[in-house]
Amino acid sequence: MFSIVEHETLAPQVHRMSVKAPIIAQKCKPGQFVILIVDERGERVPFTVSGWDPEAGTVDFVYVEVGDTTRQLGAMEVGDSLAHFVGPLGLPAQIDHYGHVLTVVSGYGVSAIVPILKALKERDNRITTILQAPDPQTAFGREPLAAVSDRLILAAGTQGENAATSATLPIRELLAEHPRKSIDRVVLMCSICLMRVVSEMTRPYDIKTMVHLTPLMVDGTGMCGACRLTVSGANRFACVHGPEFDGHKVQGWDVLMARRCTYADDSLLQQGFQCRGCSQW
Amino acid sequence: MSESKKSPTSGENGEDTGKTQEPGQEKQAKRAKAKINLNRLEMPKQSPEVRRHNFDEVATGYTYEMAMEEARRCIQCKKRNCQAGCPVGIDIPDFIKQLQENDVEGASQVLKRKTSLPGICGRVCPQELQCEKACTLNKKGAPIAIGRLERYIADWERIEGTSSMPEIAPATGKKVAVVGTGPSGLTVAADLAVWGHQVTMFEALHVAGGVLMYGIPEFRLPKEVVQREVAYVKSLGVEIHLDTVIGINYSLDELLNGPYDAVYLATGAGLPMFLGVPGENLNMVYSANELLTRTNLMKGYLHPQYATPIKIGKRVAVIGGGNVAMDSARCSVRLGAREVNVIYRRTRAEMPARLEEVENAEEEGIHFHFLCAPIAFISDGRSNVAAMELIRMQLGEPDASGRRRPVPIPGSEYIMEIDTVAVSLGTSPNPLIASTTPDLETSRRGTVVVDELGKTSKARVWAGGDIVSGGATVISAMGEGRLAAVAMHRYLTE
Repeated sequence: MFSIVEHETLAPQVHRMSVKAPIIAQKCKPGQFVILIVDERGERVPFTVSGWDPEAGTVDFVYVEVGDTTRQLGAMEVGDSLAHFVGPLGLPAQIDHYGHVLTVVSGYGVSAIVPILKALKERDNRITTILQAPDPQTAFGREPLAAVSDRLILAAGTQGENAATSATLPIRELLAEHPRKSIDRVVLMCSICLMRVVSEMTRPYDIKTMVHLTPLMVDGTGMCGACRLTVSGANRFACVHGPEFDGHKVQGWDVLMARRCTYADDSLLQQGFQCRGCSQW
Repeated sequence: MSESKKSPTSGENGEDTGKTQEPGQEKQAKRAKAKINLNRLEMPKQSPEVRRHNFDEVATGYTYEMAMEEARRCIQCKKRNCQAGCPVGIDIPDFIKQLQENDVEGASQVLKRKTSLPGICGRVCPQELQCEKACTLNKKGAPIAIGRLERYIADWERIEGTSSMPEIAPATGKKVAVVGTGPSGLTVAADLAVWGHQVTMFEALHVAGGVLMYGIPEFRLPKEVVQREVAYVKSLGVEIHLDTVIGINYSLDELLNGPYDAVYLATGAGLPMFLGVPGENLNMVYSANELLTRTNLMKGYLHPQYATPIKIGKRVAVIGGGNVAMDSARCSVRLGAREVNVIYRRTRAEMPARLEEVENAEEEGIHFHFLCAPIAFISDGRSNVAAMELIRMQLGEPDASGRRRPVPIPGSEYIMEIDTVAVSLGTSPNPLIASTTPDLETSRRGTVVVDELGKTSKARVWAGGDIVSGGATVISAMGEGRLAAVAMHRYLTE
């Protein structure tokens, strides 16, 4: 059993949970994920780690209440225990000195990107972060992001094409200034539609654009193939070859998005997930 | 071919079996000293109409009377071919002898000398290719039903709530890590624990048992049976750490540089293979592993009592002809598919699945399509699979496996409408440990290279099961475990 040592609400239906898991805390790297099971009848659900403390032996993640399991998590209190907690899974995010890194985040990515940005910062990268949120009131996690970013842009509200992609406006402005004010790398940890759109925006500029994919997973160790996708013509599993991939090499976005929704009617609140313009709706 | 007219279920006459021979047979029987009874007793099974709708075990097992009757057919020949045919060398004639004396507990003690997993082996071993094939009575086409008897003994113990324990040798002070809790790992752990070593097992998933839990369905191998045998291995003093991934939480070198004197790698072959044809990633195209994992390990068939869902459409295609394909097809039927089709590129004769499982599948209404293979999956326009394009095959020259190679017939393409696919083409080893252990020699296929006793290229490390074979049976994984355990014990006590 893995006990919950902290549990705070960051925004309506968005929470941060800190779990006692000393062995995992020893090995975590930015961009990796854990899989948890709430109780013995629970499902295996992956969450990208948003922080860890090897000394205290704790691992943190941020989640949005969207389905049965996340609602169950939302109702748990400090002192309660998770039946299972395994990780860190997946490959760590690529970290190097690139120069100017543009990052776009939304949802859980607002917090889960922080360890990656921290590591990029340590490699002397200049970081511009765009935080996409439905409205300024629900835009959580600004302070930790600001602490690891040289510039933080809030893209909130319904300006732009639609609410789900309002971050495209500031991105367009930044790209217009490239390469005079060059962008050397883009890291995306936001909704799949936005990652797809931004990958297409940066493609003509040939700016390396990394996406953090979150397809459905069952075991999370390479066994079931539920999280497979096509990358440069090859079959890849997000759980063992990812979850970070080169967005310009990802093929079949429609299929990738459809696969995410296989079980949507069973475990997701559809209303919250209907993004206009998505081919799936 | 049965000499006796006795109904297989007339168990109350069991004790008199030997005396109910037809008079005409007596002379011959006397000449053979013992009266040979060729009436091999079938196990009662759920009828296909009923079992199509539940996940309960298909074969319900012998009654006491039936087990005694079947055991008495054994002529206790001196050859002991059956034992030689068993990959773990179970003292088969001896446990049957105990049964003949109505001593089920004694029979269990004999079994436990060579196997810790009798309930599992009794159900999923291909006995027809091993002990029963070697049985002297097989010359007459009626081998003793050794597997069914083994299963009966294990079930008897489970129902009685007893467990005969072997004598455990004094502690050697040596520590062994076993990576993976499938059949091979459990065998090594049990053997080494009995021989006095301190064994710790590591399991990546949230439950021990490996393929016995995630792969083989409940209706073939009840999970209660697996967990009881896992509990037995624990009762020998073996510690099991769940949710622990070797290669991530600890590297192999960390285990060896830590408290462990030796390591046994048995992480299986978990990585599913795909066809590599267009449309294979469409929605509702599953790997057999995903379908089975959702259904068995996560108990998707009990959703919503269990949180993991499993969606199956109306027309299912299972690609492949092995036991895993049969399991996928039979799970699909039970999950409510209206029509399930097995697509296999060779003919029935080349199918790797056990004949018994093919027959079970046919009884359950599964359709078999031979000599054809998918060349593309077709979308419904919303990224869900709606059909597949197949091409007919003919058999050409034998390939490396000795089976005739399927060759596509040009121009024979046709369309089959389906809404769910389970790709069951086999698996390959998970590269996690090999990729984090540079000095562990692996083959081109990703399997770990070992000598005949399971020793790897790395000092103090042995391996067995599917990580070595690339994909075989539960009992061969156990057999390799037994060999390695002996070698490891020798190393540890040198």
